[in-house]
Amino acid sequence: MINLKHTSIGTAFAVLIIYGGLIVSLAWFLDGTTLRETLFSERTLFSVSLSMTAATVATILALLLAIPAAYALSRFTFFGKEAVETVLEFPIIVSPAALGAIILIFFNNPLGEWLQTHVIYFVFTFAGIVLAQFVTILGLATRMLKTAFDEVPVELETVARTLGGSPRHVFFTVTLPMARNGLIAALILTWAKALGEFGATLMVAGSMAMRTETLPIAIFMRLSSADIEGTVALIIVLVAIGLTALYTARHLLRRRVNA
Amino acid sequence: MLEVEALSTRVGNFRLDNVHLSLDEGECHAVLGPSGSGKSTLLNAILGVVTVTAGQIRLGGDEITHWPMEHRRLGYVPQNLGLFPHLSVRDNLSYSARARKLAREDFVPLLGRLVEITGIGTLLDRRIGTLSGGERQRVALVRALAANPRLVLLDEPFTALNETLRRELWWLVKELQRERGLSALLITHDLIEAYFLADKITVLIDGRQEQSGDKRTIYRHPANLDVAHFLGIKNLFPATVVDASGESIEADCPCLGHRFHLQGHAPAGTAVRLGIRPEDVMLRDEGHPPRPDDCILSGTIRLIDLGANVAMYFHSPQLPSVIEIVASGRVANCFGIANDQTLVTIALPSSAMFWIPQQD
Repeated sequence: MINLKHTSIGTAFAVLIIYGGLIVSLAWFLDGTTLRETLFSERTLFSVSLSMTAATVATILALLLAIPAAYALSRFTFFGKEAVETVLEFPIIVSPAALGAIILIFFNNPLGEWLQTHVIYFVFTFAGIVLAQFVTILGLATRMLKTAFDEVPVELETVARTLGGSPRHVFFTVTLPMARNGLIAALILTWAKALGEFGATLMVAGSMAMRTETLPIAIFMRLSSADIEGTVALIIVLVAIGLTALYTARHLLRRRVNA
Repeated sequence: MLEVEALSTRVGNFRLDNVHLSLDEGECHAVLGPSGSGKSTLLNAILGVVTVTAGQIRLGGDEITHWPMEHRRLGYVPQNLGLFPHLSVRDNLSYSARARKLAREDFVPLLGRLVEITGIGTLLDRRIGTLSGGERQRVALVRALAANPRLVLLDEPFTALNETLRRELWWLVKELQRERGLSALLITHDLIEAYFLADKITVLIDGRQEQSGDKRTIYRHPANLDVAHFLGIKNLFPATVVDASGESIEADCPCLGHRFHLQGHAPAGTAVRLGIRPEDVMLRDEGHPPRPDDCILSGTIRLIDLGANVAMYFHSPQLPSVIEIVASGRVANCFGIANDQTLVTIALPSSAMFWIPQQD
């Protein structure tokens, strides 16, 4: 007879072993000297700095749009709401490479060309990296924030309104603070997702060393030139940054819950 | 103070139609009804949460039907109390003052007095999550009143509490009514709560206003079968009006074998239901001669001990159903009613009977 508790716990550990095992297997190609040299090389430091800056800018831009959009989806009924909700899954169902290709093709139509000429140039630039990451994470950020707003009882907003709060005052003093945990989780997870974005970035910004070489692009370039030890070193950097972000998110959320 | 005139609204497939109610200054008006009757929809229309499709809401002379919620000056205590868990008790209580940017001297004296009356002075620095059920109720009440509203809307706020706490808080609301002239609209499905707190009652069933008025009238004279059923009146008997003169009728009730003289007007031949509340049915002492208009019945009784009172179910072969009687345990003892087979005689006094139109 299958013991549900023991079987399910065993399965949970299997998940850990699959991901943990893959990370640990990197040690086979780990070389201390190469690791040190790669980690502190000017090119790696540039990639880390470029990735973190682009991910931060893309996350801020995505949240600026996602917060009001998620609030509208959570609180109001309006024409086209279902279409907006469906399109949030677009970056998930379309591969990042296809998403990047769509952006690239857009910049070849008259409107895209006008934007590039008169507003900002995206293709093969830092702005292109930010745009690729922004488009990839916007749907996820909106979806996560909508869930966070859904968890704030509408009744609390009604009570706050009867106490004299305008809709804007209530949003900033009740809704947003109450959705704080979801906001933090969305911020960190979308940032981590932007940091690891590869396909769309490659399509829009290309893979130019010391120019558009984000960490995932650098990993791709090292692997393409059969530099396994260098690839492993960069993967370790990416994994370390990602896991630190996730740990920080969990820690902050736990602290909020216990506060 | 509050006047709701011919109010109609729609939420999804649910319609609330043509509701009229009024509430005077310092008065408590209860809106009673079973689940899904439209009580909360009515409250949401008054609050401004749902759009009114027809009719008017006037508060203190202002027509507020389409005013934004924050300008209506209504206090609101919902069923889940709506306390802000991310704020301390103190910050919850002063939320309204901050939202309205009031000067300290404009809200501190009122808040201080309310804190004193309700005894929550020691809770001010606590987080909402650390308060007990009764403490939360007090904080929610004080927060609603600290905004100095013209009217407080109470949406079944005492439902989750145990009996002792509920009664304690009912007395607190009474005290606030006396001390501060509190005007309140109470939404509840609890008859005892409504009768304890309210002066007037409106009964809603399936989105329709079935009856509204003085609580005594509704208790004694439910307007129709739905209201009677909602009020828990089971003693209802089919009858026909055989004579009508002026403001009184004579109704013949074949199953009770009696003709009753009752107040009201209905043409002869009208099918009606006669009703009597369980506490108005009298156990008859054989030593006393019956009054001429009383309906006297003999039969057996089944007794259920309710603690302070007893419920008795009177059965007689001539009756289509049992008659419910409620009396104090002492009365049951006096009549020697102790088991299911006790033979008794009961009287249904004409003065306690009411009639309602037949709806079948």
